[in-house]
This record gives sequence, C-alpha cells and structure tokens, in this order.
Amino acid sequence: METKQVNETWAAYTRGTHRVGRICTLITLCLLVGAPFLMGACLGALPDLSAVARAFLSVGLVWTVSSVVEFLIYTPMLGAGGGYLAFITGNLINMKIPCAVNARDIVGAKTGTPENEIISTLSIAASSLVTILVLALGVLLLTPLQPILQSEALQPAFSNVVPALFGAMAYKYYRHHMNIALAPLVLMSLLFVLAPGLIASTSMMIIPSGALAIGIAWLLYRKQRKET
Amino acid sequence: MSILSELNAPPIYLICGGIIAFVAVLCIVFLLRAWRAGVALGMDKTKMKRAITSSATFSLLPSVGILLGVIALSGSLGIPWPWLRLSVIGALHYETQVAQAAAEQVGMGTLSASRMTPGSFATIALLMSVCIMWGMILSVFFNKKYTQKLTVTGNRAGGGFGDLAMTAMFIGLVCAYLGSYVGAFVSGDGRFTFTGDWTPIAVAAVSALVMALFVFLAEKKQKAWVESFSVAGSMLVGMAAAVVLGILVK
Repeated sequence: METKQVNETWAAYTRGTHRVGRICTLITLCLLVGAPFLMGACLGALPDLSAVARAFLSVGLVWTVSSVVEFLIYTPMLGAGGGYLAFITGNLINMKIPCAVNARDIVGAKTGTPENEIISTLSIAASSLVTILVLALGVLLLTPLQPILQSEALQPAFSNVVPALFGAMAYKYYRHHMNIALAPLVLMSLLFVLAPGLIASTSMMIIPSGALAIGIAWLLYRKQRKET
Repeated sequence: MSILSELNAPPIYLICGGIIAFVAVLCIVFLLRAWRAGVALGMDKTKMKRAITSSATFSLLPSVGILLGVIALSGSLGIPWPWLRLSVIGALHYETQVAQAAAEQVGMGTLSASRMTPGSFATIALLMSVCIMWGMILSVFFNKKYTQKLTVTGNRAGGGFGDLAMTAMFIGLVCAYLGSYVGAFVSGDGRFTFTGDWTPIAVAAVSALVMALFVFLAEKKQKAWVESFSVAGSMLVGMAAAVVLGILVK
C-alpha cells in the first residue's frame, strides 16, 4: 500500500477513534455517576452529597493524583484507542498494562506506530471482554462457585495473582534489559526494606522506579548511538 | 426485607447489568474498528489474531482473581454493584479501600451489611464512582493531544528511544512491585526481622522460571505458538506453587 494511502487510512481511523472514544467515555461517565442516584431512587434513598464531598476530600484526592499519574504514564503505552478503553474498563496495573505490553511484544510492534495502536486496542478490548465474561459467569454461578473459590486451600493462589504476573513479566523483560532493570530493582528493594511503610504506596513508587529506568535507558541509548 | 436482599433486587441487577452490557458493546466496537483498520493498513492478520488470543488467555486468571473481589464485596454491598465496579472502570486494589473509607465517612465505622442502609449504600456507591473517574475525564480532554505528540505517522519504523523508554517504564513498574515483595519479607513485621510473607517472592520466582521454560520452547524448539499462552501458563504454575507452599508451611 502506498504511503499516502496508508496515512489517509490511518488519519481517518485516528479521527474516528477520538470521536468514538470521547463520546463513549462521556456516556460511561454519566452512567457510572448516575447509577448510584438511580439505585438510590429504587431503594428509596438518595446519596448524601455532603458526606460524599467530605469523603472525597479525605480519600478521593489521593486517587485523583494517582489517576493523573496513571494517565500520563500509561497513555503512551496504550495509544489512543487502548487508552480510552483501558480507562473505561479499569484494572490497569494488574491486567491491562501488562496485557497490552505482552501483546505488543509478541507481535513485535514499536511504540508510537500505527501497528502498536492497533495491537494495543485489540489487546485491551479482548482482555476487557474476557473479564466481563468471566465475571458475568462467576456472578451467574456464584452460589456453586463460592465454596470453591473461597476455600482456604486456594486462598494463597488468589492472593498471589499479581506476584505470579510480575514474576513472569520480569523474566520476559529483564533478560534483554538487565542493565536497565538492575539499579531500580536494587534501589526499590532497599527502599521498601528501609521504609516498609511505603509498601502500601507501591503504585506511587512506580514513578521514581520508572524514572530511574528511563534515565538509565537514555544513557545506554546515547552511548549506543555514539558508538554507531 | 434485609438490606442485602434489597441490594440484590432485580432492578439493581438491571441497572448494573445494563451498564456492563454497554461497555461490552463498546469493547466489541473498538475491537472491530481496530481489526478493520489493521487489515486496511496491511497488517498481518495472524499477528492480530495472536494479539487477541494471547490477551484473552492472559486475562483469564486475573479475572478469576477479580471475581474474588466481587465475592468479597458482595457481603456488604450486594452482588450487582461490585460486579459492575470490577467489570468496568474499577480496580481490585482500589474498590475495597474506597468502599471502606466511604463507610467510615457515612458513620458506619466498618463496611458491613449489618450497618448498611439504602442511603449509606447510595452514598458509598457515588463516592466509589467519583474517586476513580479522573482517568476517564483526562482521556476526554487530553488523550488526543497527548497521543498525537507521541504517534509516528506513515510507514516509518518507529522505535528509537520512545520504544526503549516505554520498555524501561514497564521495567520500572515491575521493579517497584518486586521490590515491595522483598521489603514485605525483610521488614514487613519490623525492620530487618526477615519474618514477613515470603510467598510472593517464591511465587514470582516460580512464575519467572516457568516463563523461562516457555521462552526456551518458543525460541530454541521453534514452538512459537506457546508464546500466546506463556504468561497465563506461568501464572497458573506460580499460583499453584502458592497453594503447595501454603499446604507445606501449614
């Protein structure tokens, strides 16, 4: 396909993605904020807005900062379509981000390219549909499944989903980039050992850890370019 | 009628199920659009199929973990609302924390069905929605400008430092979590006591070893198809190791 034609197809797709993404995000927002009022009306009691405001000031601001950080860090990884969809469907750190990065890696797509945008969107959409399906089936079969899923023997498995995920991803990414991974891994381990209180804020510690990794990657990239 | 019966009533299911169905349709729309655009741009269909297959298998086990979150919250918030929250927008680690904090703010002390009223439920539900909606709002206003700055148009190869930077950012993310497991073991019960929970470290190590085996099969034995199942398979064995360790330690 000619470059001009590719650019036109890509431009049309991108325009459409932003239009659909914005409209759908706004509708979802309205639905999610409207649902508590609608459910309250069904139950005969509306939300206490002053309690919501008080609670937001005490806990919501932390999540607001976290959301801004998530948006700035994850949007470049996800691309436009993947970004809209991931912020609508949630579970970013424990599922969508590793899922999209893994799919990108399997097909060898490069960041910032149309291919990455397409693969990322396919990946997040497929992942979200699986979650929706599993949860719908789970809710449907909640009574027979509950004793199995909540059995004491299986609890360690479900408490360790994230370590299992990051263990696998660590091997996959560290093996070609150990020179980037070593310093942040050692530094983060030391930091959490010396200040265990930070463990509760691990998601915020991604920022210094990621910044250090990017800094090292930049130095290595510059060195490599000088040599070639 | 008990509060849980009210929270599990058909109208509540209808409201929550309707929103989930809307988001499911949205996912299908995005998936189809991306697929068609990929075909129009001349992308390899096999690659796109692999991206979908690997993402679907990848998501199975974490989704079961998320289902446990629904079960955990259903005891106090009923089934439909946690089902909605964890199917759409929510995050496993977030929902319980915010629900608990909201319960404290409405004067319940702890999140429990025995103290729940329709009013406190509606308030908690609204707070859970409001606290986590900022990523969506930022997407509406800034996704376009932000991604346009980052996108390489046409057939240019992409990559360069941008690609390495994203890989490095992800490595940083993984390092933060692995570091937290080390910290929890060494200092979780007091600095340098080495009596914290070591299961996450063991699970991550087992999972990494199994991934190494998958990589070996894919690269050295030319079994490329295992790549689509490598993360899910590694996680499954890692989680099974947690169960075995749980039995052995007990």
